[in-house]
Amino acid sequence: MKDPYEVLGVSPGASDEEIKKAYRELAKKYHPDNYAGSPLADLAEEKMKEINEAYDAVTNMRQNGGGAGDASGSSSSYSGNSSSSSQFYSVRVYIQRNMIPEAEKILDSTPEGNRTAEWHYLKGMCAFRKGWSDQATTFFQTAVNMDPNNQEYRAALNNVTNQRNYNYGGYKTGGSTVSNTGCTCCDICAAYMCADCLCSCCRAGC
Amino acid sequence: MFGYLQVQKSELKVREWEAYKSVYCGLCRQLGRDYSFLTRLSLSYDCTFYAMLLMSLERSCSGFQSGRCRFDPLKKCKFAACESDSYSKASALSVISVYYKLKDDLADGGFFKKLAVRLALPFFSRWHKKAAKRYPMLEEAAAAMMEAQTEIERDPDAGIDACAHPTAHMLGTVLSAEASDDGKRRVLYEFGYNIGRWIYLIDAADDLEKDVKKNNFNPFKNCESEGLREYQTSVLNQSLARAHAAYSLLDTVDFKGILDNMLLYGFPSKQNTVIYGLQEEKDERSV
Repeated sequence: MKDPYEVLGVSPGASDEEIKKAYRELAKKYHPDNYAGSPLADLAEEKMKEINEAYDAVTNMRQNGGGAGDASGSSSSYSGNSSSSSQFYSVRVYIQRNMIPEAEKILDSTPEGNRTAEWHYLKGMCAFRKGWSDQATTFFQTAVNMDPNNQEYRAALNNVTNQRNYNYGGYKTGGSTVSNTGCTCCDICAAYMCADCLCSCCRAGC
Repeated sequence: MFGYLQVQKSELKVREWEAYKSVYCGLCRQLGRDYSFLTRLSLSYDCTFYAMLLMSLERSCSGFQSGRCRFDPLKKCKFAACESDSYSKASALSVISVYYKLKDDLADGGFFKKLAVRLALPFFSRWHKKAAKRYPMLEEAAAAMMEAQTEIERDPDAGIDACAHPTAHMLGTVLSAEASDDGKRRVLYEFGYNIGRWIYLIDAADDLEKDVKKNNFNPFKNCESEGLREYQTSVLNQSLARAHAAYSLLDTVDFKGILDNMLLYGFPSKQNTVIYGLQEEKDERSV
């Protein structure tokens, strides 16, 4: 196993507070939400596990073997929520195994009448895996419009909407005129998602 | 490649800026060594980015040397020394991409442009042959891209995803060739794919006005003009966001500050300049 301090990017002399901060930053960076639907999701999950283990190891070391870290167990709850009752079960399996052409073949042969919200969602997933982000966005939007109450479709749409805002570095794209308009519907949406994230974090921590 | 992959100088540390310049100068020197004095003129920011990324992935930068600039003998330069063939590879990519760019110009440029291209092309075909022989992988990827691009431009219904695919796939292929294992290969492909996609789309957004006037192909031509800028911004943002997610998994150490700067400040800033016509580096003046 790698040196847990090295994984967290802190020196062994760092204070508990610094370690917690470094851990939080890394956990935010590799959070499964950032990789939802991405072909790299499994790698991010591994990375997340490594960070969680390193943090546990460090806290354990510091408490002389007592107490379990408060960070473990959160990663397992993020795995994909594929429903076995779905009529496109095989498509989901193909997507999970990254066999996109096979998945698309089934989807494209579905007759016009059977193209449900789920069909649009899965079509979007295929496009997203291929890197065709714009098409993916359109499909996710249609899926949400057809079935506004489905959390899975909504999460996918939120994810691409977030990507389309790209404000990781605090740098506002969209020109000065846009950034001065105050509260747009995107902001409300983003704020809602932030609040949602916080809620789910708390629950995971409890 | 077209020179969009820039740093945001105002957000760099001084030592990072020096390091960036020294990679740029090192690549320029290699272009002169491998090919000719003239190929140095084909040096672009994009290839500098490629060289720096390779050096960072291979951890092959072994320090900095001083020397003199060939273009301005009075100026002293620093050169980033490299233990692997990153510079040669980036030089080859530069020569190969300029060669294909010239051929493309020959197909749809104006009269004077064609004349200039006809003069330059014989030289570049010779250098191109040399580069292709040294790095067949780069040549294959570039040739496949050109072929796929011509094909897709014949289809009037092709969406922007399909139009951007050849360039994106090329960069994805070129970068994933550096990987040592399967996980890294996937990360590098996703990273390269989305950077390539971003380059293609920002170039298309930049050329839109000109292409409409000259009746050339442009993927944004069929889009409605109302809300077009917002649409372009979100499509470009999405590519950057996915590139950034992949980049986070790379665990870069060398040149990390510069690469972070490019992804988080340099590219978004370039994007704002192209789409909204904003001044670059405007925050530098307000300080």
